[in-house]
Amino acid sequence: MTIAAINEQLLRAIGVGVALLDLQSLRLRFCNDTFRGWFGEMEVGSKLLDQFQDFDVEALQAALAAEGRYTTETTFRLRRRTMTVAMDFNRALDEDEPIAVLVCQNISRIKELESMIDSYSMMVERNTREIKREKEQVEKLLLNMMPRSVYEEYKTFGIVTPRLYDPVSVVCLDFVGFSEMVSAHEPGVIVSELNDIYTAFDRIGEQFGCARIRAVGDLYIGVAGLPDPTEDHAQAAANAAIRFMRYLNQRNGSHPIQWRCRVGIASGAVVGSVVGVQKYIYDVFGPAVITASQLRYKAEPMTISGNRAVVERLGDEFTAAEAGSITLSDGSEETVFRIAAEMRAAQER
Amino acid sequence: MEKSLFDKYGGFSVVSKIVLDLYDRLLDDDDVGPFFDEIDMARIVDHQTKFVSSLMGGPASYTDDQIRKMHAHLEIHQLHFDKLQTLLRATLADHGVAPEDQDAILGAFEARRNLVTE
Repeated sequence: MTIAAINEQLLRAIGVGVALLDLQSLRLRFCNDTFRGWFGEMEVGSKLLDQFQDFDVEALQAALAAEGRYTTETTFRLRRRTMTVAMDFNRALDEDEPIAVLVCQNISRIKELESMIDSYSMMVERNTREIKREKEQVEKLLLNMMPRSVYEEYKTFGIVTPRLYDPVSVVCLDFVGFSEMVSAHEPGVIVSELNDIYTAFDRIGEQFGCARIRAVGDLYIGVAGLPDPTEDHAQAAANAAIRFMRYLNQRNGSHPIQWRCRVGIASGAVVGSVVGVQKYIYDVFGPAVITASQLRYKAEPMTISGNRAVVERLGDEFTAAEAGSITLSDGSEETVFRIAAEMRAAQER
Repeated sequence: MEKSLFDKYGGFSVVSKIVLDLYDRLLDDDDVGPFFDEIDMARIVDHQTKFVSSLMGGPASYTDDQIRKMHAHLEIHQLHFDKLQTLLRATLADHGVAPEDQDAILGAFEARRNLVTE
């Protein structure tokens, strides 16, 4: 067997499609088995490129004349499979006759892989978006439970160091005759009413800088001056407390169930921390919370009781009148003041 | 949390090989192949990627209602479903998926039989 014959046999058998075309007429001079397997039987001398839809013959001829090379792709169906073949034309000489050598590589697998990567990346992107949305919801939930700075610390270190805040003002509120109200009405009704009221309180608290820390049954606790210290925490707490009562008064005017609260406000120190591991909650403890809670018992329905530390920080928007005393846990006596909005100031608002 | 079969068998890099192998076998099969006669390659590949990923607990999931709607216009008989089941098992086995995991994947497939067959 001659070298030329071996070459021809090799050329016929390789997995690359090869065809030789007359450069001028672009008629077929030779094609190998792979080429025929893809594009079907074709006769020598036939116009090969007529087989390919939308083939830009002019661009091919121009490129072969200029650079001597032209590359394109063609897609067709072989049985039910979509085939994509990369076509590479090169200008050459066959015994002094100008020809074009067409080499075809099957790139169907690459195209299939590209499609699969597209499909997979879209799935992953959608999942990532869903995870991000869920993360944002969890974050929102946690930010409702604790101040942002505490949340950031919790997220970074997994724990929160208890921190002393001094001074802050604590508002402690409960409802007169709550036990009787619960037994007199359907639990669903009470929960719905409380939800309504606490939502309004939260909004008022947000407006005046007195954030809710806890709401358990009829006990509602808010703190002003935490986590960022503020000069006017006492006014913030008193302003919020007065609006709580105004809101209830208005609401009672149009609702069958009458809600009457009593409020205690105390200025002093608290410690804020996350409590628990699995079921964690942000809470505040300390003298100001205890005193505010005690002062609440001293308040008449729909009035506010405060300690001296609060009253000393209140401006002339409020009035404060002595109203007895309470005994603190350390045995000392603390004077109680009844706090109200200054009428003139209230009218001006 | 228990690792999904998708992760157990090496995630996308391995599952992609299963998908392309299954794609070849489906198109070559004269019972199941004709369903894909007029379908664009990208759509078939997309469908197969999601199909295998969801069966293996990867990042795709379909509700029963979605599966029913997607196949409603096709006349899929028990024979077609059985054939795909055979092809899927053979493909999984050839890619080293353990018999008990093949059972789990094919169980998930079988559970959807009534959603797509006539």
